[in-house]
Amino acid sequence: MTRHLIIFVCAGFILNACVQAPVFKGEDYAYISSSYPIVRVNGEDVEPAYSYDLMAGENTLVIVFHTYLKDYVCTFTWTAKPGVVYEVTDQDHRYPLTLYVWEPTNSYWASRLDPVEPSQCVQNDK
Amino acid sequence: MRSIISISLSLLIVLNSITVAVADVLPGLSSITESNIRDAAIAFVNTTTSPGLEGTVLNVDNNERQSDQWRSSLGFNAEFTLNDYTFNGYWGLKVFGGRLEDKLRFIDDNGQNVQINLTRDVVASSGSLGLSFPINQHFKLRPFLSLIASDLQSKTVFNDQYVIDNDLPSNTFRSRAQMWSGIISLDAVYSRWYGDYQINLLGQYSSIYTQSFSEESAVLDTEAWNDTLVAKFKLTGPTSLSSAGKPWRWNTYANYTNFLSHNKKSLGYQSLLEAGGGMDWQVNIKPLNWFGWEYIGFKAGLIFGDNVRGYSIGLTTR
Repeated sequence: MTRHLIIFVCAGFILNACVQAPVFKGEDYAYISSSYPIVRVNGEDVEPAYSYDLMAGENTLVIVFHTYLKDYVCTFTWTAKPGVVYEVTDQDHRYPLTLYVWEPTNSYWASRLDPVEPSQCVQNDK
Repeated sequence: MRSIISISLSLLIVLNSITVAVADVLPGLSSITESNIRDAAIAFVNTTTSPGLEGTVLNVDNNERQSDQWRSSLGFNAEFTLNDYTFNGYWGLKVFGGRLEDKLRFIDDNGQNVQINLTRDVVASSGSLGLSFPINQHFKLRPFLSLIASDLQSKTVFNDQYVIDNDLPSNTFRSRAQMWSGIISLDAVYSRWYGDYQINLLGQYSSIYTQSFSEESAVLDTEAWNDTLVAKFKLTGPTSLSSAGKPWRWNTYANYTNFLSHNKKSLGYQSLLEAGGGMDWQVNIKPLNWFGWEYIGFKAGLIFGDNVRGYSIGLTTR
C-alpha cells in the first residue's frame, strides 16, 4: 500500500512537470515551436529549426511539411504578442499545417487556441 | 522523437443483435472437433483484441445457438514526428475486456438434445509500434506491429440430462489459458477537405499470430494464424453549435470488418458492417504537453450484413 502511494505521488510530481511554458528570450519576445522545420523567418533563410524566439509584432515564417511525393512550403503571417507561445502542427486540416496559440490550462494539459491557417502553401514536386 | 501530432482514443461499447437463418436439423455432438474448440477460443480472443474494431456486444440467436458477446476497449494511438525524417513514428497502447456467453444445442449419439452453456472471459493489453509514411498531404501508409497479452477463462456447463463422463463429479468444466498475439498491420489512410466538409477513409489489413498456453486444457495449448480486413469511411461537416467557444461537428460513418480466416461456426459470424453518425466537439488540448487531442464525441450506429443486425453506441475521441 505504501509502495503504491509512493509510486502514485512520484507519478503525480512527474506529470505535474509536463506542462511548462518555455523561458522567453526577453520581455518583447514570443516563442514558437513547430513539428516541422522552420526554414525562413521574416524573409531571411535560417538553418532548419523546430523552435524560435520571435520579436513581438508582425512575423512571417516559412515552414516545410515534407511528404514522399511533394514538399508543402507553408507561409504564416501573424502578429505575435510578447510572452505568448505559438505552436505549429499538422492535424489533417485543409492545409497541411496550422498555427495555434499554446496556453497552459493547468499542470496536466495545455490548450491550442486561435487557429491560424497559412496564407499560402506552395507544393513542390520532389 | 519530438512531439506527438495526433491521438485517437476509444472507449466504446457496441450493442447489436444477429439473426442467422434457422437450421431445420440440429448438428450432431460428434461434429465438434478439437479444431473447432481451438478455433472458437482464438476467434473470441481475436475479435476482442484485433485492431480497428473498437468494441462489440453480439447476440446470436437461432435454432441451435444463442450467444451474447461484448467487447470494449480503452486506449490511444499517436503519431510523432522524427526530426529530419520524412516518415513519422507511430505507437499505441490499449486495454481490452470481453465476455462470451454461448448456448449451443446438439444431438447426441442417442438422438437426445444436448445443451452446452459456454462462458468465456478475456482481459488483454496491447502495445503497438510502427512508422507512418506520408505519400502526400492526403494519403499515408502506416505499417505497425502490435503485441497482445491475453488471459482467457472458460466455463462449460452441460445440461442436466447429459453427463459427458460419469466419473466426473460435476458437469461443469473450467479452463484457463494465457495467450500472446503478434500482429502485423498495414493502414492506408486518406483524408481530404471539400469546403467545410472532410472525408476520411481507412483500409487496414492485419495478420495475426496467436500462441496459447494452458496447463488445464491440452486443446488450448495451441497456435494459429488469422487475418482481418477493416474498411472505414467517415464524413464530417460543420454545425452552428459550440460549447465553451469550441465548435461541434457532425459526422456520419460506415465501418466494415471481416475476420477473413475465421470459420463462421466459431462465433456465428464472420463480418460486420456498421453505419451511423455522431457529433464531435473540438476540444483541442495537449495532455501532458505530449500529444494532441483534438476531438471528443459520441456516436450511434446500426449493424448489418453477414446475418448481422443491431445497433451501436459509444464514446469516441481523436
